[in-house]
Amino acid sequence: MSNLVDIQNLRVSFRQDDGSYNDAVRGVSLSLGREKLGIVGESGSGKSLTGRSLLGVLPPYARITVDRMEFDGIDLTKASGRQRRALRGGRMGMILQDPKFSLNPVMQVGQQIVEAIRIGDRRISGGEARKRAMAMLESVHIREPERVYGLYPHELSGGMGQRVMIAMMLVREPDLLVADEPTSALDVTVRTQVLSIIDELVTRRGMGLILISHDLNLVSRFCDRVLVMYAGHVVEDLVASRLHDATHPYTRGLLACLPTIDGPLEPLPTLNRDASWAAA
Amino acid sequence: MIEIEHLTVRFGPSTAVRDVSLTVQDGESFGLVGESGSGKSTLLRSIMNLNRDWDGRISINGLDAHSTPRKRLAREIQMVFQDPYASLHPRYVIGEQIAEPMRINGMANAERRTVELLELIGLGAKFRFRFPHELSGGQRQRVSIARALALSPKILLLDEPTSALDVSIQAEILNLLNRLRRELSLTFIIVSHDLAVVSYMCDRLAVMRNAEMVELLTRDELRGRDIKTDYTKALLAAS
Repeated sequence: MSNLVDIQNLRVSFRQDDGSYNDAVRGVSLSLGREKLGIVGESGSGKSLTGRSLLGVLPPYARITVDRMEFDGIDLTKASGRQRRALRGGRMGMILQDPKFSLNPVMQVGQQIVEAIRIGDRRISGGEARKRAMAMLESVHIREPERVYGLYPHELSGGMGQRVMIAMMLVREPDLLVADEPTSALDVTVRTQVLSIIDELVTRRGMGLILISHDLNLVSRFCDRVLVMYAGHVVEDLVASRLHDATHPYTRGLLACLPTIDGPLEPLPTLNRDASWAAA
Repeated sequence: MIEIEHLTVRFGPSTAVRDVSLTVQDGESFGLVGESGSGKSTLLRSIMNLNRDWDGRISINGLDAHSTPRKRLAREIQMVFQDPYASLHPRYVIGEQIAEPMRINGMANAERRTVELLELIGLGAKFRFRFPHELSGGQRQRVSIARALALSPKILLLDEPTSALDVSIQAEILNLLNRLRRELSLTFIIVSHDLAVVSYMCDRLAVMRNAEMVELLTRDELRGRDIKTDYTKALLAAS
């Protein structure tokens, strides 16, 4: 089976004031089958940029170099803007952190899902699209799809808004879903619920998932495999269930600095950043 | 000491806090846990009088929160907000932000004290002339803690002080807060959605849901799973 995603030596850099380029992502390679891959790291580690490069939604001033970037056999480095637009939304979807900022504030949420469907296939009639949108809302466990369909984003709670986002992304049945901190803006109780909905849909449709998060424990519970990123590098590639056997001092440090409900009350261990981690 | 009796906060037709009474002793660290919309931040903002429209009684170190002038109250109690990106003035240098409350209150030696505060929170005097955008999230949160301490208050209200930060930085800020509480004998009220943080930081905690306080627990009760309400159990299971 060929890989769904194959990235070799991805570099993303941004121009600085003095004209030189600063690498934010330094040589990331990853491959993904139809599985759930977690990318973990602190802010600035390059995890979001990696996901965004794959979708092709980086700002135009970012400089990207990559040896190979393929999606299901399609060479993304050679794809035209038109091809990439067709892939986005159709075969690759993305969920961002805060539904408040990713939904259109002046459009009913149901209409936004219908829009997504009809952009994909103009031949689908309005009525049929509406029916599909309803069914999709139901499959993300929204109890009264008829009512929610007509609501505007500000009338939804965070968890509900995120479920609408998920519905909108999955209604086109993409092969790959990139979820960038999908639950960070949500409450703990809602968080599990939203994740289990993503899990259910991803598993049922046999999709690939890249879950980007700063929460190590959440990712390890939810994904098959975890990449740990630090300063633009992948420092460790782990089977999620074996997270606690991590060997890299950075991963171990991240695990140790979390307070736990039953943990000791002594000062928490903090990370002593080693310059060699960034160079590795 | 903070005494809250029958606090009710209404916004139009909806009730954000319904009949909450609690007492926080001097030197105690008290946690408020609950989902968004449960009223925990509103409770904090009412204590601080950022929201002035409430019923009930709040007394802070013996001062009535409604009738005491703001300047007087500010010397007793200060607040640290969730998002250090939003709570600092983008065009003030760090030194000015920290000195401003002292200037408003006509305190002498504001400059010397600013340097002391910067040393206290572990940044150092050289940060005085930097702008907020030149600092990382964790450094900014340190600055807002320093600013809150400028008037030497006895009580700090912390509204999700670490939820906008990375876990590695969270550990540093929590350690800093614990050290400050010990050295300056402060009283904390910490709002958090993270039970682990509250269990680590707080001696007692209240669980809020739908504007009401559903359970009051000590740390030992939480750790011993001596929990009475189903809601707290669900919260515990989710984290």
